[in-house]
Amino acid sequence: MNLLPDTYHIQQTFSTYCRTGEKVKLPGVAPHRLKHYRQLVFNMIHDTMENAFPIAFKHIPTAKWNKMVKEFFSKHACQSYQVWKLPLEFYTYAVAHNWEDTYSIPFLNDLLAFEWAEMEVYNMEDIPAPAYSLSGNWLDTPLVLNPEHRLLSFHYPVHLVAKPKDILKNKGVYFVLLFRHPETGHVEFTDLSPWLAFLTEQLTSGITVRDILEYAPQLNITDTGTLEQDTLAFLKHMQQLHFVLGFQQ
Amino acid sequence: MVGVGFRREFAEEMISGEHIRPDFIEFAPENWMNIGGYWKKVLHRVVEKYPVLCHGLSLSIGSPEALDKSFLQYVKTFLREYNVQIYSEHLSYSKCDNAHLYDLLPIPFRMDAVKHIAGRIQQVQDYLQRPLVMEIVSYYTPVAAEMSEVDFINEVVKQSGCQLLLDVNNIYVNAFNHQYDAKAFIQQLPLSKVAYIHMAGHEQVAPDLIIDTHGEPIIDPVYDLFEWTIQHLQPVPVLLERDFNIPEMAELQGELTRLKNICHKQWKRKDELVA
Ligand SMILES: [Fe+2]
Repeated sequence: MNLLPDTYHIQQTFSTYCRTGEKVKLPGVAPHRLKHYRQLVFNMIHDTMENAFPIAFKHIPTAKWNKMVKEFFSKHACQSYQVWKLPLEFYTYAVAHNWEDTYSIPFLNDLLAFEWAEMEVYNMEDIPAPAYSLSGNWLDTPLVLNPEHRLLSFHYPVHLVAKPKDILKNKGVYFVLLFRHPETGHVEFTDLSPWLAFLTEQLTSGITVRDILEYAPQLNITDTGTLEQDTLAFLKHMQQLHFVLGFQQ
Repeated sequence: MVGVGFRREFAEEMISGEHIRPDFIEFAPENWMNIGGYWKKVLHRVVEKYPVLCHGLSLSIGSPEALDKSFLQYVKTFLREYNVQIYSEHLSYSKCDNAHLYDLLPIPFRMDAVKHIAGRIQQVQDYLQRPLVMEIVSYYTPVAAEMSEVDFINEVVKQSGCQLLLDVNNIYVNAFNHQYDAKAFIQQLPLSKVAYIHMAGHEQVAPDLIIDTHGEPIIDPVYDLFEWTIQHLQPVPVLLERDFNIPEMAELQGELTRLKNICHKQWKRKDELVA
């Protein structure tokens, strides 16, 4: 190491100031100039979070949101060298530090997870789909799904309801499927019943629809006689949306 | 060769080439690495059309701590994949205590920092098997300096063997903010090492302070400084940076044309050598 401890320490002091905004004394540095660094750095982080979490930003009172971003940036050592991935660190920080309680926003984790997933699925690297054919038996041929997807479960319907009041009133069990359209690259999302979420998960592991349907009674799914028909209708609809791609060859 | 910084905001216009036609494009590998979907398709279309130079953001050559090897590995693969002709970075630091800050922090102008940075530049150059082109950054305050900025830069270049990215607007901004003579400063630089030029706009936020925003058109005094500067240089690629406040493409093209005319006038027949 060629760097002397003094220089090392000065660089640390400078960067710590940029992260926290807490006053420091540095040789040769004019405080009124220094403050621009804190502003530039913090604005960048603030903008990144606002763009990644537009709904959360809208719902959470500004003072609270600013406090969250400040805490995150000053206490967390940002690991991603790509700034677009930083919102994931914000979300995981919120979960790890129990922000739902700290900031009294019970649906916070769900909302951040949902907004991050939209961004992640939109940007993530291409995943080649296995070969598939367009003809097959819906019940007995394993299906090929669009691999560019995420299946999430929530306690609050953050993907369905806009107003925080309404979100809070509807606590329950929710599933949402997000996937990227292979041609346009747009992210689509669909609310799923527990049964359809189970179905989707099992299809991903290559199990046939017929075998999955056999599980229904064990899951306490009351088959009113149309379960098979409804399930197939869902899958055909998902094929039109380019989530079900086709049949294994 | 006069290029423009490639941004998502005007990707389609660049691909169509109808209202703007740069000779090359530049972008940050960090903004395009590990990306798929819509934007990857756009990237492929644009790199088919224009030669690519890359200007990195996260190398943090001035960091006190060790280089990020896995990051460098990605950079190396990326530069190869997109046939990138120049990889430039900033003479600053953006990571400390294992935390990225996503901005360019000023390095103390000190001899131990020079040695430290020169060693790191050599490590990167050896690993990437290409010269690093280091940009002299704009800064708003010196930090614990023990030598002048120009001596610091000269020493880094001498000890590391790197090339220089001369951002003429940065020099203008620094000269204004720190009250020195821009031309005298440029004259003291190792000008034979300049491999690339940046031009941009800025914003004056106080009577004695300019912030390097890349959000405004280039101002006339910066064009003048550019014209004066390139008379002392071999022809190199020139880039227009515009990151915010994106205007109509015709306006950007107007700036490109003005830069190109100055290059033609001052570099005449040498001009196409770099193409
Ligand atoms: Fe620049």
